[in-house]
Amino acid sequence: MTLAIVPLTPLERGQLHVIRLRALRNAIVLLVAAGAAEWFVPNLPMPGLFLAPVILLALWMVVLAPPRRWRRWGYAFTGTELHVEHGLFTRVHTIVPVLRVQHIDVQQDVLERLFKVATLVLHTAGTDDNVVILPGVARATAEAIRDAIRERIGSAAHD
Amino acid sequence: MRSASASAAPRMTEAEARPQRLHVLTVILRFIKRAPSTLVVPPLALGFAGKEFHPVLAFGAFGAIAAAVILMTFLDWWCFTYRIGAEEVLIQQGVLRRSRRSIPRARIQDVSIERGPFARIVGLALVKLETGGGEKEEAHLDSVSLAEAERLRALLRSHSPAAVAQAGDAAAPEPAPERRTIFAMSLGRVLIEGVFGFSLVWIAAIYGGLHYLGEILQLDWEELFGEAQRVAVARFSIVALVLVAGLALLVSLVAGIVRTLLRDYGFTLTHEAGRFRRVRGLLTRSEVVIADRRIQLGLVHRGMISGRLGWNSVEVQTLGGSTDPSGRQGLAPFATKEEAAEVLAATPLPTFERVGLRPVAPAHILRSALRHGMPVALVFAIAGWFLPLLWWGLLLVPVPVIVALFQRAHHRYALRDTSLQVMRGVLSQRDWVVPFDSIQTLTVRQGLLQRWLGVATVSVDTAGASGWHRPNVSDAPLDAALALAEALAAKVD
Repeated sequence: MTLAIVPLTPLERGQLHVIRLRALRNAIVLLVAAGAAEWFVPNLPMPGLFLAPVILLALWMVVLAPPRRWRRWGYAFTGTELHVEHGLFTRVHTIVPVLRVQHIDVQQDVLERLFKVATLVLHTAGTDDNVVILPGVARATAEAIRDAIRERIGSAAHD
Repeated sequence: MRSASASAAPRMTEAEARPQRLHVLTVILRFIKRAPSTLVVPPLALGFAGKEFHPVLAFGAFGAIAAAVILMTFLDWWCFTYRIGAEEVLIQQGVLRRSRRSIPRARIQDVSIERGPFARIVGLALVKLETGGGEKEEAHLDSVSLAEAERLRALLRSHSPAAVAQAGDAAAPEPAPERRTIFAMSLGRVLIEGVFGFSLVWIAAIYGGLHYLGEILQLDWEELFGEAQRVAVARFSIVALVLVAGLALLVSLVAGIVRTLLRDYGFTLTHEAGRFRRVRGLLTRSEVVIADRRIQLGLVHRGMISGRLGWNSVEVQTLGGSTDPSGRQGLAPFATKEEAAEVLAATPLPTFERVGLRPVAPAHILRSALRHGMPVALVFAIAGWFLPLLWWGLLLVPVPVIVALFQRAHHRYALRDTSLQVMRGVLSQRDWVVPFDSIQTLTVRQGLLQRWLGVATVSVDTAGASGWHRPNVSDAPLDAALALAEALAAKVD
């Protein structure tokens, strides 16, 4: 991790599969579209004009990119801040001071439930980065972070 | 109306118990406002439906539509009631689909009063209850008498937390809160502002308007201007070109002055009991109240030309945003350096200090040159492909590149005791003051190019931001960017 402000924890292994399966879904859509174009567009100068580049792109999306993307994710909860880092090309490191959190969601869609991961969503009163998402943590971890944040906000409110 | 308000005051509590309607003149006001779209166009369209004008059809339609509109407007008015309860404001409206909106009084941040030209003639006012949830969340009472508007404001404000805190302080020797004028603009000042407010966009707007008018009035442009055009083309020369350009400039100048006069005439900013009050406008007189505690950050902006001549504009970003075009509330649109400093000093914001600001990395020059030069190069390269004359546009590319050379010298930042301060911009310059308390999240971003150059951008997210500009620190050396983010995060907590 290049933007090392704090030592970061990697995501759960299960999230890699979630990323890959989502990429596979997108790749299939692209492949079907390219196949249809190949079939229906008349007088192609050469066969595979649509399909060949899309197959290469799909290979990148499904085989090569997911592990890299997964490795780029990392998070750290210091008790006063949540750090989330991600991004394959543009690297983004977001810091959410716990006292600025307005409300917190823990989400799990079908795919995430299958691989036993959850997504933690923090909402702040900000404008551009007001929703900070941390995917691919164990449900227990997500809930532990949520409870810690809730407790800290609660105790600050009573000061 | 004055006597009505005087008699209303003693039985205020009794009046609050039952729902009230808006001022009855509202019906007439709305009827007049709707007239152009309902009363004039459809009958005319009907009247002209055939080959010739049918007065019977037109007047019949006019009568029927007028009756329907009056009835609808009246029913709307009849069904709209408001009640100021002890804990909440209750607004009920709708003829067929009834809606009930209850606004807890503690949530009402501000009460503002706006008066358009019609409303001023008949002594009415539009009252806006601001809840800090953005435009849609607000409640509008359109319209009540001015006395009622002032009574509502006094009543609702007495409940707001700021006022309660003030009441608590009242035990201290200082009694009634005094109102003092922070900034006011004379007519001369507004006119000077108007001169710098000129914009070539207005030429397009005016041309569009004339064209539209021409469509409606079916003017014969060919007959009117055809001859002039032929003469102009025949004698086309540099002189003619200069004349046209001069005329365009004159039109923009006048348009800018008129627009500024309409908006900023009689601009007065006062401060009292933890809130600013801004009154401005020639035809539509608007009054906006900005509570100190809703101010998120401050910005002093110097325009490309007016800024060089020493004119500043002061804006603050507030919770819930603003309807001003910049998305921030303008506290002083055209002020000298000293006046701007005075306005900022009246806010709870710390002062902006030019001394001790740190520069960003030299890589900022390269990134700015690419960022501003590339679009120009691309646009003209592509346009030139279709119209070779536009290749000449590529001559403009050096301009943003030369400006970029100065970007680094003008982009500096510093961490002060209670705020982050950032200055940015070569031609049009901005000084930002962001108190630590306003910072919601921090983000360090590093694109591909930035990774090679070893720099990063620190974005500071605040509540109620809009528009283009943000108090970000672009292209600081990576270690400095990380240190800045870390230090800011530590200050927030």
